[in-house]
Amino acid sequence: MKIAVASKGEGLKSEIDNMFGRAEYFVIVDSENTEVKSIENTAKNESNGAGGKAVKLLSNEGVEIIVAPELGPKAVTAVEAFKIKAYKKDSFKTVEEAVKAYKDGKLIEFESASVREHSGLRRA
Amino acid sequence: MKIAVLSGKGGTGKTTVTSNLAVNIPGCTLIDTDVEEPNLHIFFNFKFSQEDSIKTEYPVVDMEKCNLCGKCGDFCRYNAILPAKDRVLIFKEICHNCGGCEIVCPSKAIQYEKREIGKIYKNNSDSSIHMKYGELNIGEMSGVRIIEKLKKSVENDPIVFIDSPPGTSCATVAAVEDVDYAVIVSEPTPFGVSDMKMVVEMLREMKIPFGVVVNKAGLGNNEIYEYCNDENIKVLENIPYSREIAEFYAHGVVFSKNMQSYKELFINLFENIKTILEPVQEGGQ
Repeated sequence: MKIAVASKGEGLKSEIDNMFGRAEYFVIVDSENTEVKSIENTAKNESNGAGGKAVKLLSNEGVEIIVAPELGPKAVTAVEAFKIKAYKKDSFKTVEEAVKAYKDGKLIEFESASVREHSGLRRA
Repeated sequence: MKIAVLSGKGGTGKTTVTSNLAVNIPGCTLIDTDVEEPNLHIFFNFKFSQEDSIKTEYPVVDMEKCNLCGKCGDFCRYNAILPAKDRVLIFKEICHNCGGCEIVCPSKAIQYEKREIGKIYKNNSDSSIHMKYGELNIGEMSGVRIIEKLKKSVENDPIVFIDSPPGTSCATVAAVEDVDYAVIVSEPTPFGVSDMKMVVEMLREMKIPFGVVVNKAGLGNNEIYEYCNDENIKVLENIPYSREIAEFYAHGVVFSKNMQSYKELFINLFENIKTILEPVQEGGQ
């Protein structure tokens, strides 16, 4: 099963980003063979709907689990439609910590959007 | 003759200049195109009623026909349509109604439906000034369609003053497009001048003749006059920074109605613009 974490950089040691749709990278970890793949988030500079596009990008990569700090309303809708489960990062700092926490069953699933639309745009 | 009043920075005096022009020029039409927060009508005791409901369209997908090929999602640059695993998500509030997804859909599964984004209000026909304003519904992204319809509805009126949205956004471009002349209202502060420069660039790009009214003159510094001089921009009038004017504004009073000396300033402003435009109009006809 592939787990994607919104991150600031590449690799397991990198820090989790503050936003989902406009995160710099996604680090994808395959729980079966522990393969790690970092992809640039091509949705991050979209004028609108970055969250939805990011979900689609991850779905194309075969991702079934997302770990993110926040999730906007469009991303929440998209996650459901792409049959992906999204979990809150809690207080974990790095991709590695978040993946371990997910595997240990310590993370809580997003039930609704945690921020309003366009919150990612205000970050700059 | 269509004259737009605009500014780079907000709160420089667009509505002050537009309303004072209107009360001193008989037979004019006044429209407020700042549809995100129209306020010009507050300065007049007219009765307003709804004239029009402005609608935009958004795509609706027939899942009987859709094969989830993804072409609509790849085409949409606003991510308003997003094909997922067993359905197509539509984020209708960010759809720009370009019609592209319907064209690229190979299975003809997309149709457009209408929804309201705002309204146009007009005053009673027996009012001394013919006036309209647009209002964008809360939560909507773009009022351009309302502005275009508002302008279209007064296109045959002889003299139209257009109170524009601040800045240089799509809404401002829509408000000033095709006007005969633009009046930039700026305050003589560093912030005011900086934002005004962007408006100057926009108007030059759009090839619209323009001049500047300096409002709150006496505040700030001389930079605005130096800039206008260097760039060959005409300073049409100066409205002083005055407590009395501010008090009238705060009470919703068009100040030149009560301050006789300023009637002339606004009449002069209009005459000045007419003189600037005359040779252009003769040449164009």
